[in-house]
Formats: sequence, C-alpha cells, structure tokens
Amino acid sequence: MASTAATRTAAGAAKVVKPIFSRDLDEAKRRVRELYRAWYREVPNTVAVFQLDITTRQGRDKVREMFDKNKHVTDPRVIDMLVIKGKMELQETIHVWKQKTHMMRYFYESEEPRPTDFLSKFYRGHDQ
Amino acid sequence: MAASLVRFVRGGLGRSFNIARTSCLLQQQTRLQGSSTETRPTVRPKDAVAHNQLAAFGEYVAEMMPKYIQQVQVTCYNELEVMIHPDGVIPVLTFLRDHTNAQFRNMTDLTAVDIPTRQNRFEIVYNLLSLRYNSRIRVKTYTDELTPIDSAVPVHMAANWYEREVWDMFGVFFANHPDLRRILTDYGFEGHPFRKDFPLSGYVEVRYDDELKRVVAEPVELAQEFRKFDLNTPWEVFPAYRDPKEDAPKLEAGEKAPEKK
Amino acid sequence: MAGLLKKTTGLVGLAVSQNPHERLRILYTKILASLQTMPQDAAYRKYTEQLVNERFSHVKTEPDVEKLEKKINCGQIEEVIFQAECELALSRKMSEWKPWEPLVEEPPPNQWKWPI
Repeated sequence: MASTAATRTAAGAAKVVKPIFSRDLDEAKRRVRELYRAWYREVPNTVAVFQLDITTRQGRDKVREMFDKNKHVTDPRVIDMLVIKGKMELQETIHVWKQKTHMMRYFYESEEPRPTDFLSKFYRGHDQ
Repeated sequence: MAASLVRFVRGGLGRSFNIARTSCLLQQQTRLQGSSTETRPTVRPKDAVAHNQLAAFGEYVAEMMPKYIQQVQVTCYNELEVMIHPDGVIPVLTFLRDHTNAQFRNMTDLTAVDIPTRQNRFEIVYNLLSLRYNSRIRVKTYTDELTPIDSAVPVHMAANWYEREVWDMFGVFFANHPDLRRILTDYGFEGHPFRKDFPLSGYVEVRYDDELKRVVAEPVELAQEFRKFDLNTPWEVFPAYRDPKEDAPKLEAGEKAPEKK
Repeated sequence: MAGLLKKTTGLVGLAVSQNPHERLRILYTKILASLQTMPQDAAYRKYTEQLVNERFSHVKTEPDVEKLEKKINCGQIEEVIFQAECELALSRKMSEWKPWEPLVEEPPPNQWKWPI
C-alpha cells in the first residue's frame, strides 16, 4: 500500500505543484510587465539620487537588458521567483539602501574581457 | 541496545493494531530497561524516564494531528522530533503553542538544512521551548527551491528574522511573510551562500578601484584552481546513528493516555 | 476575595483577575461547546474534553482561589485563564483545519532518512 501511495504521490507531484503567486504563464508575464514598468519609472529618479554618471536612456537600456537576460524562462514559478528578487532589488534602490557602487555594479565597468587564446593567457599569467 | 534512535513510524491508517501495538510498547520498554546496564563506556548515560516521557508526548501529538504528522522520533540525546508535511506548519505550530498540555510558546530557532540528493532538498527546522513544562521540541518539514512554505510569523513573531535569514541563505520562499528581504548578504549579492552548490570562494571579489574612485566587484579569480581534497575519514562519523540491526518498532499513534509532562 | 488581597501577578501584561471562577466557567463552557462540533472519535476532542472537565470540576467545587491553584497545578489562576483563552482560540481553529483526518501526503521516499 505504501509503495502504491508513493508512486501515486510521485505522479501527482509531477503534475500539480504549489504555485508561488501565479497560476499560469499569463499571470506570471503580467507580474513581469508590472515590475518592468516600475523599474522603468524609477530609473530617472535613481540616476538623480545616486548621482550616477549615466543618462536615463542608458539606465533604461540596462534594465531592458537585464530583463532580456531571463527571457528564455517559461516556468511560472521560476518567473515568480525572479520577479520576487527583482522587487527586492527595486525596493533597495528606491529606499537608497544601496550605494553608488552597488548600482554601478550592473555596468561591469572595471572588468576586462578574459583572455581566450594561449598567448594572451600566457602574458596575463594564467596557465589554464 | 543497538538502536539508540527510537522511531515511531506511522503504521496504517486504521486503529486495528492495538494488540500488536501494546506488545510493541512492552517490547520497547523491556529493551529500554535492558539498556540500563550499559557495557560500552559512555559519557552520557541513558535517561530512560525522560526518554519515555518524550516518547509518550510525541505519540500524544501524533495522535492529535494525524493529518499532518508523518513521523515522530526521539533521538539518542533525548530530543523529540516531529516530522510534518509542509501544509501543516501553521496548524502544528499553533497547536503546540496553544494546547494546554504543550504550551511551546517560545520559538528558539528556525533554520534550514540543505541536502541536495533529496527530492525536496531543504529541511526546515523549528526549535520550540515550553517554559511551563521545561521542555523542548523540534519540528521538521521539507521543501524545494521553488515550493513556497507558509510563514510562521502569525504564530511566532520571533520567526520574522529567522525566515529572512533562511530566505537569504538558502532561497526558500516564505508565503505571507510581512517583510521578506535580505538580512545578511550585501545589496546586489547574487546567490544563496548556504546552499551546498554555492562555491566556497563565492562568485565575485571586491576591491577599491583608484580610477573609478569606488568599490568594484569582479568575478573571482584564483591563482590556483580549487583543489579537490580527499577528506574521507576512516572513522565512523555518526556512531550514534548506526542503523539498528532489527527493524525499528512500528507503532501506531496510540490510544494510551499520555503522561502529563 | 483574593482579588482584594492580591495586588499583582508579578508577570508583565497579566493583570490580576477579579473574578476568576466566573471567567473560567465561561471559558470552559465555550471550549466544551466548541469541541461538540468535532467528530466523536477525534483525539483532540477526547483529550481536551478530559482535561477541561477535570479543571472545570475543580473550579466548580473549590471556592478558594489559592487552593484551586494548587489543585489545578498549572501556575497562578490568571495563567490558567490565559491557557483557557488559548485553548478556546485553538479549538475554534482546529474545527477549521480538521487535523483528525488521515495524512494529507506521505513523505517522499528517504525524506527522513538520516544519515543519507
């Protein structure tokens, strides 16, 4: 009896999962759009408050880029989780809990591309 | 006694095992008495009285809430553990808080354990304290990365920051939490550091950049790749948890009147 | 009577009860009424009825508060009242949750096996 119950629950678990917020993909997408709008409206304010050396346009492009980075995700629960994290970041930005360094981290200014071919790796001192 | 961990695995759903159950109980008692003559040297003598009390209370709780409680066990260090279904977090915690015979009104700790090989990799652990009966209980449940679990804040206010910590460190989402945000990691930090798949060195390293006049974060770059050490010990790591030679006594949540603790 | 002599319970947020017998009588009657809605064989109903009836009989028979506290043996009478309030709230929630039903779902295999 226990084994049949286990298989039954396993089969059930594959189909029915507990949703985080959204019951289907459309609802999840709606939440993503809401978050995107909130970020879009917040960008000019952020640039002013943090005194960032970027234009509003650049900031909005960056927001767009970061949303596009996850556009392959189709599972509503994963989308919900990403939206929750995005909301958390937005809250940190609006309340200026973050500092300039945290905001500028999105732009990877100081990073140089990693060397790919053998000789430049050798010059940089990497041996793998 | 080989089994230092007495488990009360849930039997069938009917109540037709009374005779078998009482014989099991008797058997268990005799085994506990037999264990009083300890042959192995130990610093922690067995306390059969406390053990039996906890076992009786565990059975009492399991009988009250058969809908949510999957298993009850008393560990070798006389700690009562109640394993529950994730749906039962609020009912079981409320029951333990408000029932006159329990009164576990303090939440001393809430944490999570990450065991990636399991189907539900996170174990959420609630430690409760009853000042009235000077007793502690541990409630355990499980979840995975994407399944939200009910927040315990409506029951215990103390759970607020603990749940934020678990969210921050493990990424377990608590539904209906009043203020779920990061508590320990820096703003802009990515990942959940207490997950077993989080690299020991982290993903970014932070330094002050003179040209940009601010702190920058860059992907971590190690002079030497992380070495794989062989840390397997030749000694037995969990001697107290050695599997019993014979099967653990299967007990149905009994109808025996509980001892008041 | 005891309320006149007793100034404080010594516990923060717990005022001295002027008429503990009356208060307990009301609470216990309410708890018992709330338990009536549960099925006869529910373990929660059985044990709670037993517990409440025992205390209720003490409350009925013992007019002196200090002796009553000794008989119930669960702290001061104000604490007993507080416990009864909690039990009442719990019993109402319990009839919603129906925890006497069979287990909602078996744990996945090896969920509680330790060490792994």
